[in-house]
This record gives sequence, structure tokens and C-alpha cells, in this order.
Amino acid sequence: MMRRKAVLTTLVLVLLAVVLGACAQQQPQTQVVEKVVTQVVEKPVEVTKVVEKEVPVEVTKVVEVPAERIEVRLSGWTASPEEENLLRSLLYECSVQRPDILVKYEPIPSDYWAKIKTMIGSGTEPDFYYMDIFQFPFFAEEGVLQPLDEYMAEAGVSRDEFLDTLINAFTWNGKTYGIPKDFNTLALFYNKDLFDQAGLEYPTNDWTWEDLKAAAQTIKEKTGVAGFSVPADPGRFPIFVFQNGGKIMTDDFSDTLLDSPEVIEAAEFYTGARAEGWAIIPQDVGVGWQGEAFGKGDVAMVLEGGWMVPYLSAQFPDRNYGAVHPPAGPKGEGNLVFTVAYSISVNSKNPQAAFDAIACITSEENQLKVLESGFALPSRKALQDADYLKENEVARTIFTGAEFATPFMWGLQGEAVNNAMAQALERVYLEGMSVEGSFKQAAEEVRAALQE
Amino acid sequence: MTRVSKQTLQEWFAAYTFLFPVLLGWGIFVFLAMVMSFYFSFTTFNLLKPPQWLGIDNYIRVIRHPDFLRYAVPNTLKYVAVVVPIQTVLSLIFAFALDQKLRARDFFRTAFYLPSVTSSVVIGIIFVWLFAPQGVINQLLGLDINWLNNTKTSLPTIMVVNIWSTTGTLMLIFLAGLQDIPSELYEAAAIDGATRIQMFRYVTVPLLRPVIFFVVTLGIIGTFQVFDQIYIMTKGGPLKSTMTWVYLIYFWGWQEVRPDMGRASAAAFLLAVTIFVVTMIQRRFLEGSEA
Repeated sequence: MMRRKAVLTTLVLVLLAVVLGACAQQQPQTQVVEKVVTQVVEKPVEVTKVVEKEVPVEVTKVVEVPAERIEVRLSGWTASPEEENLLRSLLYECSVQRPDILVKYEPIPSDYWAKIKTMIGSGTEPDFYYMDIFQFPFFAEEGVLQPLDEYMAEAGVSRDEFLDTLINAFTWNGKTYGIPKDFNTLALFYNKDLFDQAGLEYPTNDWTWEDLKAAAQTIKEKTGVAGFSVPADPGRFPIFVFQNGGKIMTDDFSDTLLDSPEVIEAAEFYTGARAEGWAIIPQDVGVGWQGEAFGKGDVAMVLEGGWMVPYLSAQFPDRNYGAVHPPAGPKGEGNLVFTVAYSISVNSKNPQAAFDAIACITSEENQLKVLESGFALPSRKALQDADYLKENEVARTIFTGAEFATPFMWGLQGEAVNNAMAQALERVYLEGMSVEGSFKQAAEEVRAALQE
Repeated sequence: MTRVSKQTLQEWFAAYTFLFPVLLGWGIFVFLAMVMSFYFSFTTFNLLKPPQWLGIDNYIRVIRHPDFLRYAVPNTLKYVAVVVPIQTVLSLIFAFALDQKLRARDFFRTAFYLPSVTSSVVIGIIFVWLFAPQGVINQLLGLDINWLNNTKTSLPTIMVVNIWSTTGTLMLIFLAGLQDIPSELYEAAAIDGATRIQMFRYVTVPLLRPVIFFVVTLGIIGTFQVFDQIYIMTKGGPLKSTMTWVYLIYFWGWQEVRPDMGRASAAAFLLAVTIFVVTMIQRRFLEGSEA
């Protein structure tokens, strides 16, 4: 009897150890980049495998590695292992191009913003790090970022080289605080098989709300699958507002326009789509994200970004799809742009080295590699004529979407605005509240947050 | 001044030598953190800039914030009021049943305890699947309810998950308490002609009173602080129907673009005071009825 108990106790303890072990987080690897460099110095032959054509030049450069390299730390989040590998390969390129700078990459796998803010609070933030447009106003307002204009002038990097929407988004009080890394816009992804089944022509870039509605209704009738998806997502709904000539916030972000007629009309069309039966919210089909519903074939069209491409090819490789610009509304085109930049900490001891590293990573040559990898769209204007974009319909659609796009950013109370917007839509979906009443309440919530 | 013998001094030295590593860790990561948080609750602190003295305002801002009185407090109180009694009664019944001479008793003890040693994140994810619109629960019950995306069912669903996962631990504590009850008492009761249920009511429950106090206290503290299941399963939604006290603290401190550590710390101290007061009342109640 005692022995059996002992065995059971051991069993429970082993289980506990397994469960706890599974919870332990992986240590971020910070040394990898350095290792690669060392390897190159010792065995130049190895380089042939990585950098193909330029071997002789690279080797001479590498041999001239200065005894002391300036070390700068970089942090970013990791969306996928593939994306991290892309960054690591760019850092490798730059370690060859600028052997005097050693970039130590310290990825933050989750809770990036909480971690970065805590690091700034304790004075241990990296020299340069990813800066999202949504969070940017807060960091700029608090003065924890380094203005980059002087460094840019000295290095001969012009603001004009970057897409206007992107570089303007990282401008605060007339100064540049971030070099755009890449960006995404929304596109209407459509399931070609469902369109074929319903006997419909594929969507085009000049579609309107009416075309969207008609096609979605036909698909619902002919195939039984929902035509479109209208999630309570503050990262999707606003484009309908823009297409209706409205705005989420005033230009100086001091007040919200969520109770303006343009917003309410847009919301009536958006939520009406579900009420009329030609659209769903992802929760209706048991998923949290409409991208998954699209992958599973539970909805024929969704508004999503370029992240859908690697996601679909990994999870739903058989999905046959295309992408066009979001349909235009009564007041024309509208889109959202999601963008991330590299920003330098105001506390960096080596801002020049950090800037040189950024300039290298975002150089035209390296940005072309980003584009060709298919994970993100480069921030440079010069690449709009790249062959990759000509050949790749989805990438071209998302890249050109930036033309009439507004940055995904609602000022210093962005989170409150996002929440108010999401809940305004949820009240309509879940509680059957009137659109007007719900959005008036949302506007009041935002105003209360703005007054704090 | 009393003289301390050499032996006592040596014992103290030995004791503190052994305690030192724990005291150091506790001092930095618990005590110092608490003191800092108490200080932050009187300041404006957004992490990027050093804290600035503000005074009592944060406490007023907490109480005045609509999310606090309209959602966080009522949701948390509902949660405590439902989960604590159910999990206490259930775990007592399980413990009593498993204290009997049953077949495969050790198997059931392990099985009931298993949820307690499983990571709450894993439990949360599993229950998200179970309660999905096309999930197992709906198929078994023949229903079509979106449990976690419905303002009426979201909080009860999380209550169920919590009861399921904590009952095992509490059962174990009750089991230990049951083993302490001398078997003569049951024999005497049996001779007096008491039924099983009467024995449970008039022998087991009164003698377990200190253990019940302990279990209820643990339950109250745990349920007031509910966070992980909500973070995994609903993130406070839909429409703040699962917004609880600790989730709101987390939201103010970590989720907002401009972190508001002052207000989050103030809410945390209000919670600590509330838990303390409720525990004291409950102690009066349980000990008072003993006399």
C-alpha cells in the first residue's frame, strides 16, 4: 500500500515537472549573429555558400575587421521563424558591409510593448528597436526616441526615398523618429473556387460596395457559404469609414468623430451585412480570426493584409485565392496602412552606429531581399518597379494599396479608441443595439479617456 | 536586558543562515515590489518617465472609472460568490467519497488532482476548444451556444473552468483533514445509530471547521485574483462581461499604449484591502458559529 502511494506521488511529481518544464520560456539567443561573423573570419571558404557572387570582395572586407567593433543592441518581436531568419540574414549582410558594427539581436517573443516600456523605465532598452505606428505617438511625446534628421542628412538618406505615408507617419513635430522598415495594407482576399462555383467573375480593383454586396449575396445563395466577413475589429472597420468620407479622429487627435454621420452610415453598411445574411463575424463559424475562416473555406472574401500569404501557404496550401484593392465606397477609395520602423533610443551610447546599422538594413539592396522573401513590403519608393511586384499580384495589390491609405494610428489614446470601436460593433452584433446609439456611446467613452 | 545564551545565539545564526536565500528572494521580489507598488499608487507613472508624486488622486480615479464600478467589481464579486461555495462543497464531497474504502481509490485521487498540476494556460486553451460553437460541449448537449462570445454565458463558462481546475487541490486539503478525524468518533456515531449522512453532517463537518476556514480563505483569495483563465479565454470580453478586478489592473498597467502604473497600483491595493476585509469577516463568521 505504502509503495503504491509512493509510486503515485512520484507519478504526480513527474507530471508536475513536465508541465512546469513546458511552461518555461526559451532563452532568447543573442549570440548567433556574432558567431556567424567569427566563422567568416576564420574560414573564408564558408562564405561561398552564403554570399554567392561577391566572395572575393567580401573576404577582403571581412579580413579587415577592426580589432574593436562598436556593439549595438536591437530588439524586435518575432511574428514567425521565417521572418526572424530574414532579419538575421539581413543582419549578416550588414555585418559584412559594415564590419565595424556588431548588431546584437535580442528578440522579444511576446508582450513586446510591456517589455520595451519596462526596459526604458529601468534604462536597459536596446540601442534601436521596432516601433509600431500605433504605439509611436506615445514614445515620441515622451521624448524617448532620437530625432534622426541630422544622421539622415549626414549619411545622405533622404525622406523622399521612402513612401510618403510611411515616413510621414513616423514624423512628430516636424522631426523624423523612425526609418520605416516595411508595411502592410488591407486587400480583399477572395476564394477563387467559391467564385467559380457561384459562376461569378473574380473581383477587380475598381469594385464598389455594391459589387461586394451583390457578389456576396450570390455566393451565399449558390454555395451556402458566407460571402464576406465583418469582424468587430478596429483594424478593419475604419476603412469603410474612410471610403465613406469620414474619419475616426480629428486631424490633431484631440477629439473623436465616431459619432459623426459618416461613421454611423459606414457602420450601418458594415453591421447590416451580417444582419442581411451575406456576411459573418469570425465567431459565427467558431474561429477568432477571419483569416482562419477564409483558410478553412467558411467565407469567400475577407479584408486582410500581406501576412495572409505565408499563413495560407503554411496552413492551407490548397486554398486557391487572389487579392484586389478593398472595394470603394460612396466617397471613393480608402485603406489602412500598418507600418513598423526602426527607432533609436535617446539613451543609446552609440546612436551613430545604430543609425548606420539601420541605414544598412533598410538600404535599397537589402529592402529588395525583404520584398523577394514575400513576408513584407519594402518601404522604399524605388522598389515600386521591382520585377517581383510585376509578377506577384497579391504583393502588388498590397504595395499599391498604400496610395490611398491612412496610418493605423489614433493618437495618444489609441487603445481607448480601438476598444470603443470594437465594443461599439460588438454591442450591435451581440446585443442588437442600434448603430447610432452604440457609436454615440463609443464616442463618449473616447472623450472620457481623452480628458484624463 | 535579558541575557541570551550562547546556544540560542548559535541556533539563531543557523536558522537565519538557512533562511537567508529565501529571505533575500522574498525581500526583493515580494516585499520590495509591494513597497514600490504602494509608492507608485500615489504617483503618475507611465514607465517611460520617472514617477511623479500625485497623492490620493489615483484612488479616486480608480473608483470613478466606469470600468471599475460597472464591470470589474460586480464581475469579481459574482465570480467569488459563485465559485467559492461550489468549489468548497464539491471538493468536500469528493474528499469524503475518496476517504471511503473504494475500488481504484488512488486512481480517482490522482485523476481529480490532475487539473491542479496542469498549467492554467493549457487548461484555458483546451476549454476554448471544448466551448467553441462547434465544440464538444455543444455537441454533447445538442446546443448551439457561442459560450465564450456571449455576454450572458462568458463569465459562467470561466467559473466552470475554474471550479473544475481548483477542486482537486482543495479536495487534497480536505482529505488530509479527514485523515485527522479519529475513527472512534465514527464508530461511536455508528453505535448510536447515525446514518452516513448524519455522520457527515454532525461528525465530519464540525471537526473539519479549521480546514474549511482554510479552504474558503484560499478560495476567496484565489477567486478575487482570477486572471489567467480570463487572459487566455476571453481577454475581458465580450463587452467587458469577463472584465475582472485583476484583469483591469493588468489592462491599465500593461495593455494601454500609455501605461498607467499609478492607477493600476492603486487598484491593486484596493483589492488587497478588500481581500483582507472579506477574509476577516469570514473568519468571524466561521469561528463565531463554533461557540
